Amino acid sequence: MQIEREAWAVLLILLLAAAVAYAHVTTTTEEYSRYNTGWNGTSALPAEEVRDLRNLDTAATLLILAPDRPFTAEEVGYLRTFLDAGGRVVIADEQGAANSLLADLGSTMRVRPGNLSSLERDRADPGIFAARVVGNTSLFAGVGTVLVNRPAAVTGGEPLLETAALTWEDADGDGRISGDEVFGTAVTCAAEGNLTVLGDESLFINAMLAENPQFIENIQPVQVDRIHSGTGTANPIVNTRLWIQETPPAAAAVAALAILPVAWHFGRKRDD
Amino acid sequence: MNARASHTILAAAAILVLVLIGVQAVDPVLYAAKNISTAAHVDPATIQKRSIGDAASLVPLMDDLLGQTGTLALTIKLKDYESAERDLARYNELSRRFDRLVVTLDVSGTNIGEFQQNNRQNQDALTALLNDTRQFDALQRLEIEVRGDDEQHMTVVYEGEALRQKMRESFSAYAKREAATVRIAEHYDINATPYQESVDHFAEVADAANGWQEEINGNGTGPAQSPLVIAVTPVEGSYGDVLLIGGVHAGGRPGTPIDIYVDSRLAATAALDDDRAYVHPYQVGRILAGPHLAYATAGTIYSNVAAFEVLPQNTSITLALAEVNGTTVACTGNLTTDDARPVTQAPVLIRVDGDTLVAAETDGNGTYRKDIPLPAGEHALRAEFHAAGYPLNASESPTEIATLRGEGLSPFPFAAAIAAAAGTGWYLRRRRPEENTPAAEPEATPPPEAARPAPQVSIAGLPPREAATVLFCALRARLNLPKTKTPRDCARIAPAYAVFFERYERIRYAGETPSEEELMDMERIALGGDADRA
Repeated sequence: MQIEREAWAVLLILLLAAAVAYAHVTTTTEEYSRYNTGWNGTSALPAEEVRDLRNLDTAATLLILAPDRPFTAEEVGYLRTFLDAGGRVVIADEQGAANSLLADLGSTMRVRPGNLSSLERDRADPGIFAARVVGNTSLFAGVGTVLVNRPAAVTGGEPLLETAALTWEDADGDGRISGDEVFGTAVTCAAEGNLTVLGDESLFINAMLAENPQFIENIQPVQVDRIHSGTGTANPIVNTRLWIQETPPAAAAVAALAILPVAWHFGRKRDD
Repeated sequence: MNARASHTILAAAAILVLVLIGVQAVDPVLYAAKNISTAAHVDPATIQKRSIGDAASLVPLMDDLLGQTGTLALTIKLKDYESAERDLARYNELSRRFDRLVVTLDVSGTNIGEFQQNNRQNQDALTALLNDTRQFDALQRLEIEVRGDDEQHMTVVYEGEALRQKMRESFSAYAKREAATVRIAEHYDINATPYQESVDHFAEVADAANGWQEEINGNGTGPAQSPLVIAVTPVEGSYGDVLLIGGVHAGGRPGTPIDIYVDSRLAATAALDDDRAYVHPYQVGRILAGPHLAYATAGTIYSNVAAFEVLPQNTSITLALAEVNGTTVACTGNLTTDDARPVTQAPVLIRVDGDTLVAAETDGNGTYRKDIPLPAGEHALRAEFHAAGYPLNASESPTEIATLRGEGLSPFPFAAAIAAAAGTGWYLRRRRPEENTPAAEPEATPPPEAARPAPQVSIAGLPPREAATVLFCALRARLNLPKTKTPRDCARIAPAYAVFFERYERIRYAGETPSEEELMDMERIALGGDADRA
């Protein structure tokens, strides 16, 4: 009886250890990754991932989040078709990586890379502050202010989000206005038709979702462009798992590998 | 599965879990709050919340300040002095709030700091305008009253001339700040119209003074050549410079006291020397940059009015930190002008961790020192000089980091540990003789040989382990051993019965069950039928 208890304890410990190991190898700490369950991941963002821009659903917003890959002329054409068909595209970028796409789409909007900070804030960090909604769009319906997190400025288009007057671009990153830095309002989100440019990728990370719930609700349903967004991962285990999930023959092979030993065991028992 | 195998598996599983935890312990990024910010964002859950109130009121306050200048200048122009006093009090109050905000929010190095400097000068200019206008009114009335008295009339005319020049200079400086102030106001989308109107009102008041003076001169009642002459050399200087204010009094006698006024305030009294000359070395100290006026009086005789200008100068401030003890840091430094001249008796602020301000003051050598108590940990400190009222520009030191150890370790845990160790030692020492000297035991416990008669016990119907316990108690009682003694104690005290007690120890603590035969043997020994005693 005692030995049986020990065996169960061993089994339980092994299962716990296996669960910890699995959780560890299938998560990542990469910024914006859908497989990052930490504060800077996007695992909690309710969104569907799309790999093909050809047949996008116009009822859902296409989110290009932290783009890190260029768009081909063909892909730009798909996006243009999507926009012309009434689809809404939201590009969230702080680094200016989306500027070439914006130019290809014929937009005058641009992301000016930088690190906006504000004195008018309710947090100790100058990079986290509220931006006022100044434009009329369903994206910010029922929203007075949006809490932004170290955003960049957006130029051109119709302003949708604007910072307070005591905002500055903290070029030297010292958290205080110094040197050539000057106060002034800045636009952090603008739109041209169905195309919206948001100078703050951080609004979609796990830690920020609860800060702007109405905005996250307004943007639903969302489809994230998995090819160009920085929401993927370089973790080989996660990528292998995804490949298996998305490749039917591989999934079948794995299922067979799991079933075969069991079948062999039962077959052997019957022979006995 | 035997016990050895299960223990091996358990040990292996434990090692596996430890290895898994160990890997995370080396780099606990995923589960620790170490990684709370990146270049793109910061985890809002880890950032302390605070009140937004102060910063939000800064721009509205600037708007109020500009609005107040228009109201104040208008009431001065209309000679509604009662309302002007109220407006000035309100303006001063707003300016004080604004100054505090600029320091608290640490924005003196921005165009808001420039706005603050301009506002301070506007505040002084409008305060002077109110006083001068009122004084001018009084002089105008007095001038009419004393027209028959040449000497008094001359005094009034000279005073009027000094005032007129002062108002002109003051207006000129006020108007010069207009462009910069309007530019800053427009930057923050503030309505600068009331301020621009205040410049117009100021101009009208100064023009009115000019008109009156011209009227007097036209009447032939203007100031004639005074026997008392004043001059300032050089005509401009910076903080710490000495300007010589002096002249001659042709009609005076050696030793006659001459009162010297700077901006209508008595600055010094000098005496005429044998050559009927007087001189006063005027050191530029806490006075605003810009034009200033000086004149002298000898009794009822007024001099002409001499103008001089105080030039602004940059400053630099240093900060050095030294740990006084675990909880206090000594901040020392020097405040000097660009030409290495010390700025004396000047207020210095030490900013701790970005928001807490501690005030200090420089001594006669421009050196300051302040001991600041701080909690343990790292603290960023910076010294600031805001130059309010000085012909100097503000400055701040580089940020220095102080690392405090905190208070030394409390002696109480050590005292408690020593006491606990001493107590344990005392207890063990007291217990050891009892355990280690069984020879002494017989005095307290009768020897087994002097055993009592066998007690009457029955183990019939009892479970085997309980029966063994009953027999153990019986033997212990028969051997007259204390009830506090364990089987092992008993075996040591009565080695003749060691086998009995050791067997019982295994039954009691190892969970073994005695057989019928063993119980019978134990009963025999316990009840005294123990010729061979095991």
